[in-house]
Amino acid sequence: MMQRKERKPYWRHTKLQMVASLVPFILVMIVFPLYAERLNSNKFLGFPLGYFLLGHGLIVIALFTIASYVNRQDAIDHWHGAHEDH
Amino acid sequence: MPTTHRTRRINPRLGTYFGIFVSAFLSLLMIVAIGEQLGVSDTILRWTMLLVPLGFYVGIGIAGQTQDPADYFAAGRRVPAFFTGLGIAACSLGGVGVVSVTGLVLMNGIDAWCIANGVVAGLVVCAILISPYLRKFGSYTLPSYLGRRFDSRLLRVIVAAAACVPLLLIIIAEIKVGAMVASRLSGSPERSMSILLALAIVLTIGLGGLRSMSWGVTAAALTTIIALVIPVGIVATEVTNFPLAQLSYGPTLRAVGRLEDVRGISSAILSPLSFDFAGVGLEPLTRRMARPFGSLGTASYLLTTLTLMAGIAVAPWLTPRFGATPGIYEARKSMGWAVFAFGTVILTISAYAVFERDIIMERLVGQSATSVPEWFQALVQSGDAAIDGRAPQLPMSAFSFRRDAALFMLPPAMQLPPVLLYLVLSGALAAAFCGACSAILALGTIVSEDVVHGSQWEAPSTKLRLLTARLATLATAAGGTILAGMLPGDPLQLTIWALGLAGATAFPVVVLSIWWKRLNALGALLGVLSGFIVAVLGIVAGESNWFGVPSEVVSVFALPIGIAAAIIGSRIGAAPPRNVLEMVRDMRIPGGETVHDREQRLLRLKRRQRPA
Repeated sequence: MMQRKERKPYWRHTKLQMVASLVPFILVMIVFPLYAERLNSNKFLGFPLGYFLLGHGLIVIALFTIASYVNRQDAIDHWHGAHEDH
Repeated sequence: MPTTHRTRRINPRLGTYFGIFVSAFLSLLMIVAIGEQLGVSDTILRWTMLLVPLGFYVGIGIAGQTQDPADYFAAGRRVPAFFTGLGIAACSLGGVGVVSVTGLVLMNGIDAWCIANGVVAGLVVCAILISPYLRKFGSYTLPSYLGRRFDSRLLRVIVAAAACVPLLLIIIAEIKVGAMVASRLSGSPERSMSILLALAIVLTIGLGGLRSMSWGVTAAALTTIIALVIPVGIVATEVTNFPLAQLSYGPTLRAVGRLEDVRGISSAILSPLSFDFAGVGLEPLTRRMARPFGSLGTASYLLTTLTLMAGIAVAPWLTPRFGATPGIYEARKSMGWAVFAFGTVILTISAYAVFERDIIMERLVGQSATSVPEWFQALVQSGDAAIDGRAPQLPMSAFSFRRDAALFMLPPAMQLPPVLLYLVLSGALAAAFCGACSAILALGTIVSEDVVHGSQWEAPSTKLRLLTARLATLATAAGGTILAGMLPGDPLQLTIWALGLAGATAFPVVVLSIWWKRLNALGALLGVLSGFIVAVLGIVAGESNWFGVPSEVVSVFALPIGIAAAIIGSRIGAAPPRNVLEMVRDMRIPGGETVHDREQRLLRLKRRQRPA
């Protein structure tokens, strides 16, 4: 069980992690389409690069974002003793 | 506090069971393929591919029947992350996401990716901002969560009423798509197919609620993935010598681009807010495949992405799903699996579209109307494609296609055996089944829990509670099917509207309710109402073309308005009382009992003390 005085540091830590996970992803999501056309002259795995980043790239980045978030947030939970009991 | 060991509650044989299901489905496919070679009549094969998979889902659903509310409304909280993610991916866009989005990639090229990007972003936002906290709160529906979080029955009923509109739109869209696919598969009229589909859904979810749906939808989602991956894998092996079409269609895409250069196709420069996705009718091919902003303006692309992001993050038909995970850690992880499954499906269907476009550019464009291949003449006869013009060398814009038929064009165009076409059709039907199941169950649960029994916090007796939930589900399925038959409309547009409305109504308030303690009941009420009203007005205005903002993206403007209204309302009203603040603090910490469980326990204690 979590100690009462751990609540505030826990939530501050969680908020930081939330911003660190979400903001880069949202930025990438907004910026990729704008540069897709210019990047299309390059190729990657045979794909036009802009198309590849917009399609495959964003999915991979989303997977990485969630995986790192789950890992880090779990570490934060354990650090502050806020984890589930199992 | 009764706590069981987490791993004991999860069925350890789930992998075995669904392995058996996948083997059974593959054997069905082989039996149908053998039957085809032996000359069994086409009608029998088609009906087999339609009815046997549906029978599997119904059987799994009936086997999950239950009399326990925790099972009916939350699947006993023992659906592991992978299965939850698979279900969320299949239910997020359902049949529309498979059938219509393939057509969009074919007709509008790279611009169609705004839909996939929006859903993926919605899942990420949900994983980080919303799902762990709603799972910790543990309410069965989104309106119950908001009502309980702000201790306001009025808010609960209003959110429930507002959530009915997007849910109904989703049900209509999914049943339309499902009926269309099923009638292509069986050759029967769409109306009888929509009744068959609704019957299968009611049989699946009627007895076991979310428990039946979790496992039935898992089976359907596996069917969708298998059925989409196999045919395009065969095509990819033929075209690119590599069976993973999702990663190997790049050279084909660049070949399409070169052919477009040769034919001198250019994309028009559009205004930032133009929105020109293909509709349900026949539409000519005019845009380039890999050049962005040929049919959507820059602003429209971004706004569509944001609309879908907000909608998916709080979609009332997805929120019950992560409530069924065994714990907060798994609720977070399930969204990662959802991104993985959704990404697989969307990359697979984009491969369909690119291979089709290549065939069109190589074998159709430049031909004359009389020398087009046989499979294309069959498409023209069935009304899924058209040729316009009599020139000896037809340009690309002379060929029109029906958006929702695009997915089913590839097997005949590559001269694959018909059984692979039936496979794709049954996969699309399974996707529509997933989408319709989740929306019907969510609406039935919301109507019974938050409208019929919404006036008190204490749940009615188990028997009455489950009876109303089942009756409401039945009524929802019947009503949705009737409406789907009566109302005209483009399933894709209905889905985008539904996501826009759901996001505008709930997204600001749900996010603030977790991340801002000061939000009070008045602020939440104002936020929900203003978001919903602005979104509805915006869609009406967009449809009548008042401001020049397309109706698909207009609901994104309701988000800042909703946030502003929520903040203003919270500043006017009194600060939230101490017990509500305590609830928020509790919700933010993963450890310990869920808020919902603790409240039910306290209510039971109170009831036991009262007569004494």
